[in-house]
Amino acid sequence: MKALRSILILIALAVLIAVPWFGSDVLVQFGINALLLAVLAQGWNIIGGYTGYASFGNSAFYGLGSYGVGIAMVQWDLPFAAGLAFGVLLSVLFAILLGLPVLRLKGHYFAIATLALAQVMAAIVSNVKLAGQNIGLVLPPLNNDMLFYESSLALLVAVTLTIWWLSRSKFGFGLIAIRENEEGAKVMGVNTTLYKVMAFALSGVFSALAGGIHAYWVTFIDPESAFDISLNVKMIIMAVFGGPGTVLGPIVGAFSLSAISEVLSSEVTSIAGLFFGVVVVAAVVLMPRGLADIVRQFRKTGWRYFSENIKATRL
Amino acid sequence: LDLLLQILINGVLLGGLYAVMALGLALVWGVLNIVNLAHGAFIMLGAYLSWHLYTYLGIDPFLGLPITAVAMFAVGYVMQRGLLNLVVKAPMFNTLLITFGLEVVLTYLAQLAFSADFRTINPSYAGNSIQIGTVVLPLARLLAFGIAIVLTLAMWLFLLHTRLGRAIRATAQNLVAARLYGVEPRHLYAMTFGIGIGLAGAAGGLYGTVSQINPYIGATLTAKSFAIAIIGGLDNPLGVIVGGLFLGIIESLAVLYIGATFADVASFGVLVLVLIVRPSGLLGKTA
Repeated sequence: MKALRSILILIALAVLIAVPWFGSDVLVQFGINALLLAVLAQGWNIIGGYTGYASFGNSAFYGLGSYGVGIAMVQWDLPFAAGLAFGVLLSVLFAILLGLPVLRLKGHYFAIATLALAQVMAAIVSNVKLAGQNIGLVLPPLNNDMLFYESSLALLVAVTLTIWWLSRSKFGFGLIAIRENEEGAKVMGVNTTLYKVMAFALSGVFSALAGGIHAYWVTFIDPESAFDISLNVKMIIMAVFGGPGTVLGPIVGAFSLSAISEVLSSEVTSIAGLFFGVVVVAAVVLMPRGLADIVRQFRKTGWRYFSENIKATRL
Repeated sequence: LDLLLQILINGVLLGGLYAVMALGLALVWGVLNIVNLAHGAFIMLGAYLSWHLYTYLGIDPFLGLPITAVAMFAVGYVMQRGLLNLVVKAPMFNTLLITFGLEVVLTYLAQLAFSADFRTINPSYAGNSIQIGTVVLPLARLLAFGIAIVLTLAMWLFLLHTRLGRAIRATAQNLVAARLYGVEPRHLYAMTFGIGIGLAGAAGGLYGTVSQINPYIGATLTAKSFAIAIIGGLDNPLGVIVGGLFLGIIESLAVLYIGATFADVASFGVLVLVLIVRPSGLLGKTA
């Protein structure tokens, strides 16, 4: 069973790697988007899924990564890799400086404080000269979708391996302990502050890299799109739809939701966004623990799975 | 100094409106422990309802407020009873997500039904204003402010002195004990959510008379309401007035002294600071 699973994963990976050689341009572009969203969903999975801190501020990391690349390449004429490193540095600093006070908050308070931080970052960036203020920055174009595709895929593999490592390391178990019972974890000797800040920074590193790749790919960034709140909500929904706190769930969630909304927006443009909202509502009511949980539980309970979920949470 | 005085007055007038916006959110949060991310979308719906009443039926926006509020109350009651009661006991994160989903749905429905154009509710007296010394008080804003304060005070008295109000407060403190004393939680939760949404509808009607409306105003209004609820604390409607006035004044001052682009930085910055320093609100009990 275990061997079968790893073979299936390897085959899926091989197919994904091969996509640019046989797929059309449209498919590759859709692929880049879906891969980057999957990276973001996985990045959120570290802080939201494993540590249990519902961050609405991961889009701040994404924006910092975009602007790291933008500022380094446009203002300082540095290569792309240096820009990525700069973006990562920015977001690690952000995670440590702001994570320390904000990670003390719990529940709703943490969610909203991070949401507000992302808003503040957008407003600050739109007033910084170096970052091109409201107008944004135009990056030198690089017409090589295959490169972007493969680097996004590599990033997704990297973040997934990191999460796989989390799921079996002391650090990862510490995070899960914090999610399940923070006081308890503390009593058991987990340095909760250090663990939380590290999880926040780790999730920020991957989000920043995704932002950097995206910025160079679309060659244009402005505060509005780089710090887009709805992007943050998207990554949460994808992670939750797939199964937060699992290794592969968020990827499945990101791919399936991207595919559905791509099909819908080409067929019926006006209701694509509406559909997204309806999926969120239905998913929370019927499958609050994501696709991964359905796969695990469905054999045992069958169709009763959905009504059991409702019974568990209704008044 | 005249300018400063005028700015302060504008801030206060704006703050009264903010208070009523946040009131429903704070009520639902305090009693049901749901942070309703769709709150701003309900304010938006209330504004559109009021606009339709005025434009097609000629009902004055201020006189039409009870209609808007009652209609929105019904919407809220049904929504809680039919949908949100299914997830009340789920982890807080799920309730955040479901109300966010509702926000998306409502925004898109509003866009389909009302188009994305800006609308304003402009009764004939909208341009009138009262001048006291060098300070100008726009009539519509003054009326909106007065109604907002009256609504908030009425809400406070309602919670303190009526049977339903007491039941709501009891449930907020301890659901199990309230149940033992004969409170029917499903109905009571739906009533509370309905009242919250009714208040949002009324706030929307007022908002439409002083500002432009379009389907996308919801998210910002939710964020502001949340900030006010945090600043004022959830225990008491009077805290919401303080929070609303505080935010209104801070925003007006920020526009004057640092520039309009920083108004939102100021309000969100205050929000983050308050959260870090006093997580239970400036006036709330210390945790």
